[in-house]
Amino acid sequence: MLNFNSPIQNEKKYNEIKITELEPTIKINLRSNKREFSTKIGKILSILPPTEANTSSGNENYSLLWLSPDEWLVYSKNKNQNFKDQIELEKKLFNEISKINQGAVTNVSDHWVLFNLKGNKIYDLLTKSCPFDFNEFKKKKGSVLQTIVNHIDVIIHNNENNDLNLFVRRSFSEDLWLWINDSASFL
Amino acid sequence: MFIINCPYCGKRDQVEFSCGGEAHIERPKQPTELSDDQWAEYLFMRKNIKGVQFERWNHTHGCRKWFNMVRDTSNDKIHATYKMGEKPPIK
Amino acid sequence: MSNELRINKNNFIDQTVRISFKFNGKKLFGFKGDTLASALLANDIHLVGRSFKYHRPRGIMTCGSEEPNAIVQIGSDPASTEPNVRATEIELYEGLEAFSQNCWPSVNFDVGGINNLLSPILPAGFYYKTFMWPASFWEKYEFFIRYSAGLGKSPTKADDDLYDHQYAHCDVLVIGGGISGVISAKLAVEKGLDTILIDDKNFLGGSTIYQDEESSKINNANSNQWLAREIESLKNYKNLVIKSRTSLAAFHGYNYLLAREALTDHLSVHERKNKIRQRLWKIRAQKVIIASGSIERPLIFNNNDRPGIILSSSIKKYIDYFGVKTGKNISLFTNNDSAYETAISLSKSGVNVNVIIDIRENSDSNIVKEAQKLGIKILWGHTIVETNGYKRIKSFEAMKLSSNGGNVVGNKIKFNSDCIGISGGWTPMVHLYTQSGGKLQFKSNDNIFIPDETKTPSEQISVGSCNGDFELDDVVNNTIYNVKKFISLDKSSYDKINVTCSKESSKKNIWLLPSDKPLYKTKPFLDFQNDSTAKDVKLALREGFKSIEHVKRYTTTGMGTDQGKLSNMHALGIIADTTGTNMGELGTTTFRPPYTPLTFGTIVGRNVGKFFDHTRKTAIHNWHVDNKAEFENVGQWKRPWYFPKNGETMHEAVQRESKAARESAGILDASTLGKIDIQGSDASEFLNRVYTNAWSKLAIGKCRYGLMLNEDGMVYDDGVTTRLAENHYIMTTTTGGAANVLSKLEDYLQTEWPELDVYLTTVTDQYSTISICGPNSKNIIKKIIPDLNLSDENFPHMSFKNSKIDGVNCRIMRISFTGEHSYEINIQSNYANDVWKACMDAGKEFNITPYGTETMHLLRAEKGFIITGQDTDGTLTPSDLQMDWIISKKKYDFIGKRSLYRSDTIREDRKQLVGLLTDDPKEVLEEGAQLVEDINKKPVEMLGHVTSSYYSPNLNKSIALAIVKSGKKMKGKKLIVPMEEKNINVTITDTVFYDKENKRLNA
Repeated sequence: MLNFNSPIQNEKKYNEIKITELEPTIKINLRSNKREFSTKIGKILSILPPTEANTSSGNENYSLLWLSPDEWLVYSKNKNQNFKDQIELEKKLFNEISKINQGAVTNVSDHWVLFNLKGNKIYDLLTKSCPFDFNEFKKKKGSVLQTIVNHIDVIIHNNENNDLNLFVRRSFSEDLWLWINDSASFL
Repeated sequence: MFIINCPYCGKRDQVEFSCGGEAHIERPKQPTELSDDQWAEYLFMRKNIKGVQFERWNHTHGCRKWFNMVRDTSNDKIHATYKMGEKPPIK
Repeated sequence: MSNELRINKNNFIDQTVRISFKFNGKKLFGFKGDTLASALLANDIHLVGRSFKYHRPRGIMTCGSEEPNAIVQIGSDPASTEPNVRATEIELYEGLEAFSQNCWPSVNFDVGGINNLLSPILPAGFYYKTFMWPASFWEKYEFFIRYSAGLGKSPTKADDDLYDHQYAHCDVLVIGGGISGVISAKLAVEKGLDTILIDDKNFLGGSTIYQDEESSKINNANSNQWLAREIESLKNYKNLVIKSRTSLAAFHGYNYLLAREALTDHLSVHERKNKIRQRLWKIRAQKVIIASGSIERPLIFNNNDRPGIILSSSIKKYIDYFGVKTGKNISLFTNNDSAYETAISLSKSGVNVNVIIDIRENSDSNIVKEAQKLGIKILWGHTIVETNGYKRIKSFEAMKLSSNGGNVVGNKIKFNSDCIGISGGWTPMVHLYTQSGGKLQFKSNDNIFIPDETKTPSEQISVGSCNGDFELDDVVNNTIYNVKKFISLDKSSYDKINVTCSKESSKKNIWLLPSDKPLYKTKPFLDFQNDSTAKDVKLALREGFKSIEHVKRYTTTGMGTDQGKLSNMHALGIIADTTGTNMGELGTTTFRPPYTPLTFGTIVGRNVGKFFDHTRKTAIHNWHVDNKAEFENVGQWKRPWYFPKNGETMHEAVQRESKAARESAGILDASTLGKIDIQGSDASEFLNRVYTNAWSKLAIGKCRYGLMLNEDGMVYDDGVTTRLAENHYIMTTTTGGAANVLSKLEDYLQTEWPELDVYLTTVTDQYSTISICGPNSKNIIKKIIPDLNLSDENFPHMSFKNSKIDGVNCRIMRISFTGEHSYEINIQSNYANDVWKACMDAGKEFNITPYGTETMHLLRAEKGFIITGQDTDGTLTPSDLQMDWIISKKKYDFIGKRSLYRSDTIREDRKQLVGLLTDDPKEVLEEGAQLVEDINKKPVEMLGHVTSSYYSPNLNKSIALAIVKSGKKMKGKKLIVPMEEKNINVTITDTVFYDKENKRLNA
């Protein structure tokens, strides 16, 4: 039996901040500029891809993040969805979209590692190395941001007040994890 | 460090972007019909203006979209940014 | 402590807390709130250093960042010692140790002082003139110059302190916490704007806060009391952040500013442990209000540099703020009213004010009258012509100025004084404004440069004395008016403010004050740190230097650590006077960041040690670590380089790994290769356009190698792309090229070919790639995936199969970079570590050998496969690489095609890739070594260089790849590789050394 090894598998607590690597879930990259695409996604996920920049849509199972005018990232919030569900969802989306040239569906579940940051000081932490002005972002639940933190590309999804999910590429995840922990210890 | 208004994502810090040189230079549709000189003109010759210049920029660490910018190189003032395929808003 | 120099003033200095410190080894005491400078002065120590060139004794001259003389070395620990710290800025802390700089053996007896006697032969440009010839002597001169140059000593060990960076965003940034800064901040927060107020001191209020004068009133209160209440009221605003001990370093475009916050520098050493020492704030402000104030100018007269000669306003601050008398018998020398404020302060504190020498004919302003009422003697229309006292001023001589101010007349009058306060007017601190790109205008009545508000580059204004307002009513009223307009505020709590103050009624300015001696016999210092005098500036002009920037560099005026804060205006004034030009036309030298020096630690922040650069790791990294891999950095990736066993050297390990891979089985972690998922109905057409070869006919399930060019025809990247489905491909790129290739392809799709229906998604981190090669690779794959038909018919070379390992989907490619029969397993990364282990277990019976990048490079070199970036360097076409076979003749166009038959690219004498064999098969060439044909013909013609070189254990000889001019035609030709010890003879060969018939691919 093959074991599933995500890179960090850890949780750390600091003064007013908690950092966790979330258990890996389904993440699928979607690209399309076709008219049918939105309705197809709506049928499969029961949510529509957001058209407004830097926003997301979601329901109890999935979050769907805007990445660019023709690119979205869907990820599962449901921890009970297992590996099989992942394959099933990918297959379903692929058959309904990629196969009939309505766009591109690509499984990126292992491409991204997901950190959760919670606490009053998470934005102080991020802005140690991120030039983005979070003033509006943090007020708006569901807002999405692609930027760099400590020179590493990340996607940040605002779950709720002082609680966010941060996507980082797997190969950079350990490096960023170390940086986040180092910075958190000086907050 | 500029603040650049990405036509898709809005205002962001310059560190998220990379510059791709002069804008509105179209790749010839039929390169094989061109003389060496004509091809070299496309390949190598770029303006280097002190003043208002049209540039290509990429939101590398954001939406990864390319867009155009009108920038005054003498004072770094960005007059406009606009999507690829759109006409420059300023002459 | 010399108590007679302290007066009892407790509002700013806590005289109940005694602090001990050491200066040049001597134990001294000061109080909490002191700076090192104020504590030294309280101990009657003026002499703190020696000047740079002449080693003249120098004393504390100012009380701020403009200090040119009192520059000390802090601490003696080799890791934390800090040179060039201004004693006027460092806050006293328990255990502080400071040393004078630029003196040996001690500040009181300095051998270099001989330079002072030699000064007639050390004029401006002395070094330039003397050390120019003969050129061959330069090495000796350099040693001497370097030995005598530099002020403090650098630390010799790594800095253990912690530094940090922080971005901040605000509506309004106010720079400077003096009265105009405080008013600006209050207006901004009243408007409801998010505001940051920064000040480099540990207190707000600037110089007004200790300005306790009856003549300066705001709303009927003394201005200092009014200001103290205003500062207190700021605490009620949640939208205001006050950053004290924070100095602004740089003001860049788009209101991006850098500021350094000193967090622990004022604490005793044991209180600093595990705390961030300094933080660099990177501030992005919608609007910036500069209230950086002004600094007092010295006066330029003969021997104006003696210890005890201090800026008049600084004397005032030392007495009013620190409660320290800078002397017992003080005289003042001025051209304006502000010295009278100092006189009044001194007089009120019981210090004898001997005389005020004023170059003006008279003044009837209130403040002057007030001084006269106190009985202070004023000598109008006079100047100081000489000062006496080597290590401390003892006396000076004054004479009457002639009517035009160009000469002195009458008799010398001698005065005894142990301290002279000098005031030459005020210079607005416009550094930050000009750093941001702002242009200045010259205001001739005050001889100052101030911001030209019509030429302001961003949303900013300058207020207060940095904008040329020097009198309290102007400062307050103009600040309120301008800030309200700037932030569009209609009503404020300041609307009915009432300010009264003394008004200056008489002005006079002489940049270089005359003496009874001829200029060449005097020493009127301009730049105190660099020892340049007014004479040097005049010499430079005589020698033909005209531009202020050239005069600055030739005389080194303004080039010290104080960046000429005190000297620039006088240098300009003297140039203007000498050349008969207008100062406004002359302009200033360029002010560059940082405003005050920054530590390197602050600049790099936490990006040191393990955070110096990123490390990317594959999903199998920990296995490599556990199995003692040596790692190589490839871009940001850590890749196993080789796996030494039982103390093997790198060479031994690589030889073993290379042999094992060809004899039985080798395994490589190839996960770092870039992987791009390509989908869309035009995917094939897209590949046709980006690669040189044809893709439309590639069958589903097949793989193909492709070369990607730049439009200039030069090889850019390469890799294998697999057709997964009709409109679905997966492309691999080189490890280092992954990000750039994706960006380039996106560029073409978005800008040149938007009509193509193609989508690209990077999956580099989604899939890990395990490559197994060698004659037993098939047996190993068979064990891991028993139900996959591995026959050559079903699964031939350059094809792929979807499969499952333990129920997990994977893609198996049969492709080879070693020339051996080999497979690549692509599996989602979170399972990769276990699949790798499964391969190791399955391969045990076949002696499966993990190998690293070095062996991979060796094996591919045996086959003559190129590595882009190693064998190519952006100047080689496919044809130069002898890869003409990969250029499709049928395709109408692809990226770079047109460039392949430019007159330059079709030249036959281009550098081309060839193989090399050494005559001595044991001799391994150095990569980068040059190739020549005729060693005796001078100059020797370089024909090319070695790009890859290895000892092949499978061929038992040395092999190399090289690029050589006209190489294609030179097969069999003998060339020479000249090395330091010997010349190595080589023969040009084919690029393929091993298995030319490709038999092993299907072995």
